[in-house]
Amino acid sequence: MLSFTIRSFFQKLVTLFFISIISFLVVYLAPGKPSQIDPLNPKFTPQDLVRFQKEFNLDKPLHIQYYLYYKNLFTGQLKSWKDNQPVMGKVYERFLNSLWLFIVGTVITWCLSFPIGISAAIRRGSVFDRSTTFLSYVLISVPGFFFAYILIIFVVKTFDVPVIGMQTFGMSNAENIYQIMDRVWHLVLPSILGALGGIALLSRYVRAQMLEVIHQDYIRTARAKGLSTDMVYYKHGFRNALLPFVTMFGLILPGVIGGSVITESIFAWPGMGRMGYEAILARDYPIILTLNFIVAVLVLIGTFISDLLYMVVDPRIRL
Amino acid sequence: MLIKKTLILLPVIICAILLQSFFWVPTYDEQVKGNPHRLKEFINASTGDAKILNPILHADSSSGAITDQVFDGLIDRDENLMFRGRLAESWDIYEEAYFYVNPAASINGQKISRPESIKDMIFSHKKSNNADSSLAGTLNNIKDIEILSAREGETEIQIPGPDTNKDGLPDPVNIKVRYKAPPQLKITLKEVDQGFFDKMEQFLGKGYFKNFSSDDFIEIVTPGHDDKKAAIASEVLPATEHNPVIVFQLRKGVKFHDGHEFDSGDVQFTYDAIMNPRNLSPRVSDFEPVKRLEPVDKYTVKVIYKRLYSPAFGTWSMGMLPDHMLNAEALKREAESKGADAAEFTIKDSDYNRHPVGTGPFVFREWKSDQYIVLDRNEKYWEGAPNYKSYTYRIVPDPLTQEMEFYGGAIDSYGAEPHQVERLKNDPKYQDFSGLSFGYTYIGYNMRRELFKDKRVRKALGMAVDADKIIRYVMYNEAERMTGPFVKQTDYYDKNIQPLPYDPEGALRLLNEVGWKKNSEGWLERDGKRFAFTLITNSGNDLRKSILTIAQDSWKKIGIDVKTDLVEWSVFIGKHVNTGSFDALILGWSMGIDPDLYQIWHSSQTNENQLNFVGFNNKEADDLIVKIRQEYDYGKQVEYCHKLHRIIADEQPYTFLYVGKWTAVLDKKIVILERTLSGEEQIKKITPTRTGNHTFYFNKWIKLASNPRFETE
Repeated sequence: MLSFTIRSFFQKLVTLFFISIISFLVVYLAPGKPSQIDPLNPKFTPQDLVRFQKEFNLDKPLHIQYYLYYKNLFTGQLKSWKDNQPVMGKVYERFLNSLWLFIVGTVITWCLSFPIGISAAIRRGSVFDRSTTFLSYVLISVPGFFFAYILIIFVVKTFDVPVIGMQTFGMSNAENIYQIMDRVWHLVLPSILGALGGIALLSRYVRAQMLEVIHQDYIRTARAKGLSTDMVYYKHGFRNALLPFVTMFGLILPGVIGGSVITESIFAWPGMGRMGYEAILARDYPIILTLNFIVAVLVLIGTFISDLLYMVVDPRIRL
Repeated sequence: MLIKKTLILLPVIICAILLQSFFWVPTYDEQVKGNPHRLKEFINASTGDAKILNPILHADSSSGAITDQVFDGLIDRDENLMFRGRLAESWDIYEEAYFYVNPAASINGQKISRPESIKDMIFSHKKSNNADSSLAGTLNNIKDIEILSAREGETEIQIPGPDTNKDGLPDPVNIKVRYKAPPQLKITLKEVDQGFFDKMEQFLGKGYFKNFSSDDFIEIVTPGHDDKKAAIASEVLPATEHNPVIVFQLRKGVKFHDGHEFDSGDVQFTYDAIMNPRNLSPRVSDFEPVKRLEPVDKYTVKVIYKRLYSPAFGTWSMGMLPDHMLNAEALKREAESKGADAAEFTIKDSDYNRHPVGTGPFVFREWKSDQYIVLDRNEKYWEGAPNYKSYTYRIVPDPLTQEMEFYGGAIDSYGAEPHQVERLKNDPKYQDFSGLSFGYTYIGYNMRRELFKDKRVRKALGMAVDADKIIRYVMYNEAERMTGPFVKQTDYYDKNIQPLPYDPEGALRLLNEVGWKKNSEGWLERDGKRFAFTLITNSGNDLRKSILTIAQDSWKKIGIDVKTDLVEWSVFIGKHVNTGSFDALILGWSMGIDPDLYQIWHSSQTNENQLNFVGFNNKEADDLIVKIRQEYDYGKQVEYCHKLHRIIADEQPYTFLYVGKWTAVLDKKIVILERTLSGEEQIKKITPTRTGNHTFYFNKWIKLASNPRFETE
């Protein structure tokens, strides 16, 4: 176990190093220079350009830039090109905003997927099963932003309530309880939208897993023993069907950043996904690279956790 | 079974917790829910952020919207678009006219070179009532005559040189001139009179001013410019000079938001700051006609102009800066505290531009880039504090988001498109406004081309296009017909002039008169040549594209072979408009309220890169254009404008299509709240002013908790 942890740690470190090089190269070799963001800005004179390049080390060779960039990142000195604010501070602020969306979205996804998937599996072929199958395919195939707009327009026009942003603008003088509930309300739509796709996918997996499990011999044995249906499905069946999902849990970690770009943009949610998107448009390399790096770290941590969880829940697996 | 129960209960509980929050959120109808302050806030949404909050430096509309609230000008325009005093309580406009004694001329048969004699002569004529009646008015207008004795000296002037700079404009050359000027008379007139010298010629003898040969009195020191002596001389020693003067009486006791009193020093400072070339103010050209500005005392400012130019008066609506915060000393202090080079540090670099301090109805509080700008009301505003406690300018880049936030009550106003307003027209929750904008769309004909030289042809082309249909189907009725180049809601615009009728047959008759006859194929032909031309406009504007197609089709119907082309904007302007290489084009102008048409319609402005690109050239119109910009009397100005309007409508250099409308929508709960003298509160419905400005009484607006009922309804 310990040797696996250590071995895996070093393996991932090497992987991370290669990821950092590749992501650095991809960003730097992409067309469009950071100095070309605002060519029409009359204030941006050629002298400014030189100063800009000097200030951000853009005049140095690529490998030196790479070194300086990661050195600054780890010492916390990396600054955004757009507003000269420390990147880590900005990321942390945005991370806290995204975290809520991520937690609520994940909770909804996982809480709803299991009941739906299990019921569909148990009542295989029923109207419920077929309609959830149909809905799942609709949700998977229709792009999320489309639903987002439909949902926003529907909710706003029907209930006349604000839904955009993290809270209603102009509420800062209101009583605390109203402010808190207002924030909760603003979480509802984006997290539901973020969860919809997840529910559609995950409930399919759950259904498939459950179907596979309930045709196993031990389920028949359990039935033969005279156990109640619920006992058979939820204790013997569900527990075994759960196995692959435990490992999946580790893999949702990177979703904190990547899963919410579209939702955050549509809802004007000041989160990390939106920050990344805006940074790409503004060629703000430090932000892009930092987010890239964080995602890479999260993915690696996620796989590590799922490896560990696998060992914990399935004693047959030894790494 | 615990697992089963958990699996069902958990999602139900979570969803319930999330959804119950709905009942706590303020809705459109109950914006006060848990947040009573909301009624005293006005939230305006904008797609773009402000750039620089300084009235002399900004050039974008977002910054303008904020500085309008934070700063006051000396004057502004009232609900009828007439000037009214703001920081200036009142003003007085008069004229100082100068002329040199012409020693060569003879008055009533005798040569008079002593200025005193001329002065006495004028005064004696003024007193004796037997003066020519047409002269009486002119003489009565004279308040005082001062004699400036002969003087000598040296001066330097700039003239366009032979070399051109990178913008294609001639590089200026400095020329040193020595002069020996004859005595001069300074005549103070009670009212500005652009015809003063013409009248004086009746009195002093014809050609008295014209024959004043200023080149006899100068000597060009810089070698090599003798060929231009006459031109240089008339610039150094002009025979006559009109110097209109504005004296502003400033409002006493007006304080900047930091408590410092506003006075004439601030006006002087603001003017100097604009004219300081280091500040690169985009307002320089507005104030170029100012000769000098003199604070007479703490509350009086005198502005003397170089020449007659009445539109210059309107520029004083610009916000006034506080001298004590931005003068050289203050800037030096700021530069030192920032560790910057004081010699390089200008107003442009100051933190003031992000924390402006003015005298306006709202005080700046906070600016979060790309998020919002918040202003608080100025409790000590000289006109009384606004009803709203705060004004928030919220940046919402996405138009759909703006609309959704408006429906949710999280913003009070946004740039609503006509179709969005149309949807809310009959909804009792909203009130909507629309009005004519300051601009128009037209088809312009290149009058240098043989094809369009005859005004009957241009008229016929205009009659063949159904502008009403364009308004109905392209503009969804959000536009009105237009007949001339003035703002339609002002008096300058002559409402009696009828737009061209839609009459293709009449158009054909007119073309027949000119010699264009239909040939066997149905095309109009003259001397074997077909009536054919190209109509162009810029790409990326769907409205113009539609008009292009409609015009082409209409003209084809009467037998004109029209080709069309959509050209990318920079090519359109650079290759076609600026160089005058086009037949006909569709474009639009946006206008100021002032009736100054010099740049667009004067025949001197027909060269490359100038705005009279259709080549309109009419002597009578030229004369009127100059007269209008030199006239300070409103009634006369209106009269000249009507004449000019008639000429342009008759000449049809453009087919004037339409003037568009702006639209706005507001919560119906927003009303005008006024306090009567006895302290009673009275609410009134927001009604646009005569000129269509619904925000004119913004400082009296307030939002009520529920829909109001007006007694008049």
